Amino acid sequence: MHDELGPAEAAEALAEIRARQQQVIDVATVPAWYWWAVGALMVVLAVGVDNRTPLALGVTIPVFVIGLLAATGVAVRGQVRAARLRNGLLDGRGVAAILGFTALIVGCTLGIAFALRAAGVPYPATLACTAGGLAMGTGGPVLMRALNRIMLGNRAGLPR
Amino acid sequence: MSAARFDELIHAPTRLAIVSLLAASEWADFKFIRDTIGMSDSALSKQLATLEQSGYLEIRRGFVGKRPRTSARLTSAGRRAFEEHVAALQEMVQRSGASIVPR
Repeated sequence: MHDELGPAEAAEALAEIRARQQQVIDVATVPAWYWWAVGALMVVLAVGVDNRTPLALGVTIPVFVIGLLAATGVAVRGQVRAARLRNGLLDGRGVAAILGFTALIVGCTLGIAFALRAAGVPYPATLACTAGGLAMGTGGPVLMRALNRIMLGNRAGLPR
Repeated sequence: MSAARFDELIHAPTRLAIVSLLAASEWADFKFIRDTIGMSDSALSKQLATLEQSGYLEIRRGFVGKRPRTSARLTSAGRRAFEEHVAALQEMVQRSGASIVPR
């Protein structure tokens, strides 16, 4: 069989391998709605922080915590039930991209909040988290595309 | 890069699909493999048993709550054999001068 295998059949087999590995990576991809949900939950929490009343904090903190746990649970359900990605697929560049994205969102949100507060603008945390949430919603899918590219580059079946 | 070694056992179409899925995973659930590849339970069980007997694959049977759950993972021998098989396929393509750069 090996001797009879031509380059076209070998290329077909490699394409099949890549397509199958893509299916596993797709299962692990965090959906776009997740980033918007986290952004919205940030705003909810910030409303409580700005109001500073026990009632506002008593409502917004549980909504944030429960909402974040529920959204994360649904988003990673595929990884838990279907298949867990091989550790080596996400290398140092992927980890750096995740940490960089998180640091950028948190840093910018805090920076805007403190600047607005210093300027005496009302509801600084809410406004800053709205900006942060928008950045999360638009940037999250961009991060996932970057991570997908890294994982696709690290899978077997590709020239390194 | 891995040494190139064509593996007849892995190259069979259904087994190639199974091993490719598992090569990107730490482990994969039986139902995920079955549904992704589009096989029947019995056909998949047969192929998994063949790969397990060859030492390429490890099957774990357990329970999540009260539900039985079967998952599979490549052994280090299976992962090595797959990487060598991929390298052999790449060599065949490269010898012909064709490109294997993905879409």
